[in-house]
Amino acid sequence: MTFINYVAREINCKLVYYGPGLGGKTTNLQHIYQITNPENKGKMISLATETERTLFFDFLPIDLGQIRGFSMRFHLYTVPGQVFYDASRKLILKGVDGVVFVADSQEERLDANLESLSNLNLNLKEQGFDLNKIPYVLQLNKRDLPNALPAERLKKLLLVKGEPVYEAVAPKGVGVLETLKAAARQVLVELRKSA
Amino acid sequence: MNASNIVLYEAEYQRLKSILVKTQRELGIDLILLIDRDGHQIASEGPAQDIDLTALSSLAAANLAATDGLARLVGEPEFSILYHQGKHRNIHISDVSRRYCLVLVFDEKVSLGLVRLRVKHTTAYLEEVFKLFARKTETKKNAAVPSNSPSPFDFTDEDIDKLFGR
Repeated sequence: MTFINYVAREINCKLVYYGPGLGGKTTNLQHIYQITNPENKGKMISLATETERTLFFDFLPIDLGQIRGFSMRFHLYTVPGQVFYDASRKLILKGVDGVVFVADSQEERLDANLESLSNLNLNLKEQGFDLNKIPYVLQLNKRDLPNALPAERLKKLLLVKGEPVYEAVAPKGVGVLETLKAAARQVLVELRKSA
Repeated sequence: MNASNIVLYEAEYQRLKSILVKTQRELGIDLILLIDRDGHQIASEGPAQDIDLTALSSLAAANLAATDGLARLVGEPEFSILYHQGKHRNIHISDVSRRYCLVLVFDEKVSLGLVRLRVKHTTAYLEEVFKLFARKTETKKNAAVPSNSPSPFDFTDEDIDKLFGR
């Protein structure tokens, strides 16, 4: 749910990074945090376990700049990927404006990707959203690993609706910004359509 | 405009702000913050300059959402109030109209009983204002953007490209 603030001249949108556990959702946000100017970002909050696994969510507010005198602010969230944190994932999807699905390219994580994608579909429906309509980007992460499946095969299995796909190596920042830009662009275009 | 979006105009903001100012002064608290249930800040008042309001908004909304989940698990429709007691500062989080949330930060000198009482009254005032806004939104012509405010949605694809420095 977008919050349009005429007083502060801000448009606030919510983007959620979804995907299987250990797929690199938090690493995406950490990279965005590192490369964003201090004046364009807020504090990054990670609610994680002692072993650095996301327990509830990561949160990073960023300001993408101004359009027509309005600041375009995006609140970036990750969900906990582990299967048993489903209740938390549902909460974080509330009021979402766009979703980035961070897939793990490793062969042994294929089933986890498929399970997480199906879970996303289900949880979005529960929140009143349709995966086929909501702004959505697919990121194929961990492309540098030797056991990564060919991108074409992953696309065949994970593409939902012809969404933009980006190959990424999140710890090195490869594909991270491109993914964010594509998702933010879709959110803004959707917002313009609904205005 | 998507019906689920929240739009805040100057007149509405001033009414909400005046309610927060009154409550903050009467209680003498560090901060009173009004947010939506997605964690977006709407208005705030109080001398606490050391608190990151964006982070507080996000965490308070998540906290209330998680508490809602807990309530449903034990068969309650909601737990509408959350209270965290610290050594020096306390936080009181409460629901407003199931769509918004009120956050108060106060020190040990402020009585919790008084906070609860004032929050009840403040919530009632805020709910009245939100009801008026909802009615205004339903009658589209009244909800239209004031003529002196340019619409932020007139942007082109080129404007978006510029945003990303392309």
